[in-house]
This record gives sequence, C-alpha cells and structure tokens, in this order.
Amino acid sequence: MEAIEKTYRQIVYEKGDSGFISAPSMLVVTLLFIIAVLSVPVQEPQKIIWFAVYPIIASEITSIGFGKVFIKSLWIIPFIALIGIFNPIIDTRTAFRVGNVGVSCGWVSFTSIILRGLLSFQAVLILVMTTGFLDMFNSMRRLGCPAVLTTQLLLTYRYIAVIMEEALTMKRARTARGYGKKKYPLVLWGRLVGQLLVRSMQRATRIHKAMCARGFNGTMPTGNSLSWNGRAFLWLAVWITVIIALRFIDFSDFITNYAI
Amino acid sequence: MSHHFIRFDNVKYTYPDGSEALKGVSFTITHGERVALLGLNGSGKSTLILHTNGLLLPTSGKVNIGGIPITEKTAPTVRKSVGMVFQNPDDMLFMPTVYDDVAFGPRNMNLPEDEVEKRVTEALDAVGLAGLEKKSAFQLSGGQKRSAAIASVLSMEPDILVLDEPTANLDLLARHNLIKLLDSFHHTILVATHDLEMATALCSRSILLKEGRIIADGPTGEVIENFNVF
Repeated sequence: MEAIEKTYRQIVYEKGDSGFISAPSMLVVTLLFIIAVLSVPVQEPQKIIWFAVYPIIASEITSIGFGKVFIKSLWIIPFIALIGIFNPIIDTRTAFRVGNVGVSCGWVSFTSIILRGLLSFQAVLILVMTTGFLDMFNSMRRLGCPAVLTTQLLLTYRYIAVIMEEALTMKRARTARGYGKKKYPLVLWGRLVGQLLVRSMQRATRIHKAMCARGFNGTMPTGNSLSWNGRAFLWLAVWITVIIALRFIDFSDFITNYAI
Repeated sequence: MSHHFIRFDNVKYTYPDGSEALKGVSFTITHGERVALLGLNGSGKSTLILHTNGLLLPTSGKVNIGGIPITEKTAPTVRKSVGMVFQNPDDMLFMPTVYDDVAFGPRNMNLPEDEVEKRVTEALDAVGLAGLEKKSAFQLSGGQKRSAAIASVLSMEPDILVLDEPTANLDLLARHNLIKLLDSFHHTILVATHDLEMATALCSRSILLKEGRIIADGPTGEVIENFNVF
C-alpha cells in the first residue's frame, strides 16, 4: 500500500519538462531506437550493449540523470525475465566457451532479451520524463497514430491515477480505523479489490459525464503547440545517424580488430 | 436575448434499478434568471441537473433549452450553451495541467488555438487563477479546484450555468469568494444547493424538490420561510 502512495505521488507530481527538445523529435528518436534495438539478432548481445549510448547521453543532456533512469528501469527486469526464462533450458547448444565453461545459446539469447527490454524501457522512460504524457500523445497523433489508440492511452493514464486515488482513500480509511494493524489479511484484500473496482467505475462514470458535458466526442482534443525547432532537427539528425551506425556497425568487432 | 431559457415539461425519470427520481417536474427558468434548486439528499436535484444538458434523458416528458428540445441528437449542441459544474471538482479536472483542463471544452469545439488561449486566459482571470496555468489540478486547494472547474466551463462561453452543490467542502473564505464570483456573472443560473445562505444571496427564485416532485416554487425568501426546506 505504501508503494501505491509513492507511485501515485510520482504520477501526479512528477511532470516531464517538455522545454528542452520538442516532443515529436523525442518520439521519432525513441521509436527508431526501439526498432533498431529489437532488430538486432538475439545471438549478438555484444551489439546491443552499444545502444546504451542513447539512454546514457540523452538522460544526461536532458538533466534527468542516467542513475535515476537506470534505477526506475530495474522494475521491468522481472517481466522481461519471464519472457526469456525458458531459453537457457530449451536452447542448450554451446555458443562460446570461457575457459572450460561453455555458455549456451539459451543464456546468450536470455541476456539479449534482458538488454533489449531494459534499453527500450529506458528510452521510453526518457521520452515520458522529458515530454510528459499529453505532449507525447499529441505527437503520436500528429505523426499519424490513430486517434482511437492515443485517446485510449491517454485515458488509461488518466484512470491509473483515478484508481490510485481511490485505493489511497480506502487505504487511509482502513488505516484510520485499523488500530495499528498493518497487515491486510487475504480475505480483506479480496473485499478491497472488489470495492476498488466498483468505486473506480463509479468515479470513471462521473468523469466521463463531466467530459461529455464539455463536448467530448470520443477523441481527446489536442493543441497545436508542438513545434519543430532547430534544436529538435539537430537532435533528430544526430540520433538517427548514431542509431543507424550502432545498428549496422559491430563496434565490438571493430574495437577487437583495431586493438589487435 | 430571451432565448437562454430552461423549460421542463412533466419530466419523469426512472433509474435502471426502478427507483423514480423525478415524478413529473415542470418549470421554466427565463433568460438571466438565477434559480436555486433546494431539497434534501435524494430529492432528485442532481438527477434534474443532469437533464439540463442531456447527460440524462427523460423517461417521459420534455426538456427544452433555448428552444431546442433535448434528444440524443441535439445534446451535443445544447452542451455548448449549458455549462455544467459538477459537485466534485476532481471529476472535472482530468487533464495534466489547469490550462489543458480549461482548454478542454474550447478544443472540443474545434476553435483555433489562439482563440482557445484567449478564452483560457479570460476564464482563469475571471475566477482568479491567473498564473496557475501550468499547475496540475491535484496541486490546487479545494477552493482553487472549484474555481478551476468553473473556469473550465466559462471558457466555453455558455449562456446558461448549471452548478451542483458549488459550495460543498469549501471553507468560509472560499465560499464567500465563490458567491461573489457567481454574483458577478450575467448568465442564466440554476444552482442545486443545501446552502440556504448562498441561495438567498445569489438567487431571487427557488424551487424546492421533495421525493422527485416540486413542492414549492417562488421567491427564495418565501420558499425558505414558508416551507420546511431541511
């Protein structure tokens, strides 16, 4: 429950600073980065590592700090690990040897999956932390993403906060009458989740009515404040070049040969 | 300019669970009139309010706003002229910033962005929130949230303002400021409230609802004096 309170505060009070690079530019670079990272063959993790250049430099330039991005991105590891957990068991072919120890192809692909997920998530975090959700969705719309998708995403984002608010209210009400009991028995969890669902739906219905009262027709309106400036074009040009280079040049191989 | 009227003609509304919230309500509010809708909890005030811009449609009877009978088809048009302020401002503030919340209505009206900006600035000025455009609604006080909710409606430049319990949960100062603000408007106003002081200060006429029926309709002072309102 403390985690809910913490996450809620982060969602509500920590906003992106869209002032540095315009949102469309950040979005295009992020998409290109993810596509490039995901397109690297799973048996070549040494190529993927080099893509860390983007989250490290971008987070430092935008003053977020890579440490913050890295720590936040660690949350995703269990979910990514689930995707590749069976690879080491299924694919036992030996990829290479370190001394007498053989490393299987399964472990190599598992490492690749972790790296891909981690780097992609870091890129998305930087995007969200620098542009904010609204600007990001506006950019997606302007780049041709269907309105139905962007509206769904924006409303999902909005309703996460709604559900958290309701959960927080319930948590406080329980704490106030809990007389020091901190544990939530399993039965209570079931009741709380059921209550949370009903309360969130009621709240969502009221919000929807308020939206309809102000002319909402199923599509979230966008402003036209998203602009491309010189800095945005420079950002785009530099990162497209870097990402393409990272994708098609094996820097590990290059350095090994150069060192030899 | 006599077209900003609200007319209810024998309106009945039954919720899906079978409870009758309105049992034949008829009244007319003329242009520029300020009317308080009084009654106990569950008397049908909020249900009635939701009928004024088509968020609920009558089970039987007719609602007419400025000459337009409300149907599913005409509701979007009517909503441009009826600005509704909901009971809980948190339900109305769902965008990342106060600016975006206030701009939500005008943008839905497909106005050009410079016009949207002008309207947002004017609305925030009117409610005393100038300078808080970039704040998240979650960071505002209760009174400021209420003002932001009103601004989000004012920016649509409605002819009629409908407010549901606007002074609920406000401290004395915020309540006083809100009454002063509403008093400065020249709109046709329908306000559902338990706050008799506000009703007296703001509205020359009051309608008293009880169990879905109008039991009194007249000058506010007389209604409060002659009927056991609460």
